[in-house]
Amino acid sequence: MSPFEIKDCALLRQMSGLPPAVNLRELRERIAACSPDVLYHHFCDTQLAPSTDYPDYRNDFAIWARRRLGDQIVAERLGMIDPYVFPSMEELRQVTLDIIDERLSEAFMVPWARPGHEFYFMQAVTVVFDTGKRVTRPDELASAISLMANGSIYFHVLEARRRNPMGVDDFSAWLQGLEGDWERYMKAIREIDVTFHTLAEVKSELVEAVGVS
Amino acid sequence: MNRSLGAYADIVGTPVIQQLRALGEILRGIKVVHVNSTSEGGGVAEILTWMVPLMRDLGLDANWKVIRGTPTFFSITKSIHNGLQGKSVSLTKKEWDSYYEVNAQNFSEMKEVLEKADIVVIHDPQPAPMLGLCPNKRGRWIWRAHIDISRPARSIWRTLRSYVEKYDASIFSMSQFAQLLPHPQFIIAPSIDPLSEKNMDLDQSELEQVREEFGLDPDRPLLVQISRFDRFKDPVGVVQAYHLVRKVLPVQLVLAGGGATDDPEGAEILDEVREAAGDDPDVHVLLLPSDAHRTVNVLQRLADIVIQKSTREGFGLTVTEGLWKGKPVIGGDVGGIPLQVTNHHTGYLINTPEGAAHRVRYLLHHRDTMQRMGKTAREFVRDNFLLTRHLRDYLTLFAWVLKGEGKHTIMI
Repeated sequence: MSPFEIKDCALLRQMSGLPPAVNLRELRERIAACSPDVLYHHFCDTQLAPSTDYPDYRNDFAIWARRRLGDQIVAERLGMIDPYVFPSMEELRQVTLDIIDERLSEAFMVPWARPGHEFYFMQAVTVVFDTGKRVTRPDELASAISLMANGSIYFHVLEARRRNPMGVDDFSAWLQGLEGDWERYMKAIREIDVTFHTLAEVKSELVEAVGVS
Repeated sequence: MNRSLGAYADIVGTPVIQQLRALGEILRGIKVVHVNSTSEGGGVAEILTWMVPLMRDLGLDANWKVIRGTPTFFSITKSIHNGLQGKSVSLTKKEWDSYYEVNAQNFSEMKEVLEKADIVVIHDPQPAPMLGLCPNKRGRWIWRAHIDISRPARSIWRTLRSYVEKYDASIFSMSQFAQLLPHPQFIIAPSIDPLSEKNMDLDQSELEQVREEFGLDPDRPLLVQISRFDRFKDPVGVVQAYHLVRKVLPVQLVLAGGGATDDPEGAEILDEVREAAGDDPDVHVLLLPSDAHRTVNVLQRLADIVIQKSTREGFGLTVTEGLWKGKPVIGGDVGGIPLQVTNHHTGYLINTPEGAAHRVRYLLHHRDTMQRMGKTAREFVRDNFLLTRHLRDYLTLFAWVLKGEGKHTIMI
């Protein structure tokens, strides 16, 4: 049985080099042109970024549309995008652009933000490192998870979905490769709706999912 | 201050400390040199006072060098500083030459340590020309801008840019503060030290003592704004908001800060505040010395609601301090305040005295909401704005520039 290697990661935000957007049309233009890393950051890194605790929506575009453009309609539509269901960033980009195009065709005027409230396009660098800790048996998983840093939760649950070919978290992928019947745990882990949880909440849900005997 | 990382374990939790230790292991033994222009006083010196010992505690060979200069040099760098922050200033060629010459003198004294360093972090504009003076550099050089340079005086920025564009990377506190440069630009937000005089836990007896000293009534709600007497902090707007609340609720207001003694505009603002307050005994305008950290700590803890009604703001560390004390913050929707204050969760963002008064009244009628917000606020700061996060960001950057430049994700 291969042990589960506990990794951790730290994220650092970086300017993308794109000019900031001051209205919905500029947001569209920049999203069409930005690198996949920029798109990934604004959709998927929000749970590691400090500014978005308890947001109305779970991606930066929807939050900005709501808070700075004052356009609740496009915010609601953008906010329901689940970035993890798309096989590639390009498909995610296309869906995002479609939503904005639809809104631009409906709106009487292009929604705009006040000076100082522009949208800044960012990306992030992520440094992943081995904590040196290992979990050798499934019954050790709950206590190991309870001691993990938020970076570990992010890496093994959220980042894993982009990294793993099956699009699943590392914990259930590990359990799947073990002998024995761990289906119940795998199902409980995969049923956690990470969209509206902070990393600390995801952690406690995970502990609960694998801690129930 | 020479605290070890272990001193913070009870506050941030073991996983955070372990994460920092793991990053420290990756970077063990690397030579890091920070260079700035002052060893005490000012935000940069405050940061380096805790950061350098903590980096050493993690196994890095961290060093801190301070450049020396003549009064003329510091007068020139003050002009550069002001110009970068948008004041209309210009420098003569002779002044720029003098600025460069003082850097050259300092470089000759630090040459060996800078040439051998794996990472050099140059803080703010004063030592910016150092990189160009070091042709035999071995390591990576990072320029750290602690100030807002989004709208600089063009002539100042044009010359300074010629120095900083050659760095391997730069760091800004907020994306709004940055200038486009031909190298990676990172965002590292500032932080507070939870064990400093300004933020450490205090005994109730000390709180009561200060309450009595300033004649504050323990039975009536207290609003507190801590800030310089500066127009952009809108202290007069805070008094207006207080008056609107006072019509219906028996509140008290403390406006406390420094900045009036050596600043003509500060004195003018202070006069305006006093005039707006009139002879109301429940408005306490306190001019505090710059080292009154403990008094500020007490006042923030005595507050029911912390206010930061700025109309222009940097990151807004007084907001962070208020949130850390478990208080909801009513703050202006400017600068870094929206990064910290989320409506209905950690406080309220407002734009006018009326908006502030409305939120104060709401909160004072909903004590349970205030308590919930205060709890959320403290946890939000614990996760995002304590010095441990700040330290982690620097370590992450060091790991990235040394081991993985150019890649989105690096595995170590």
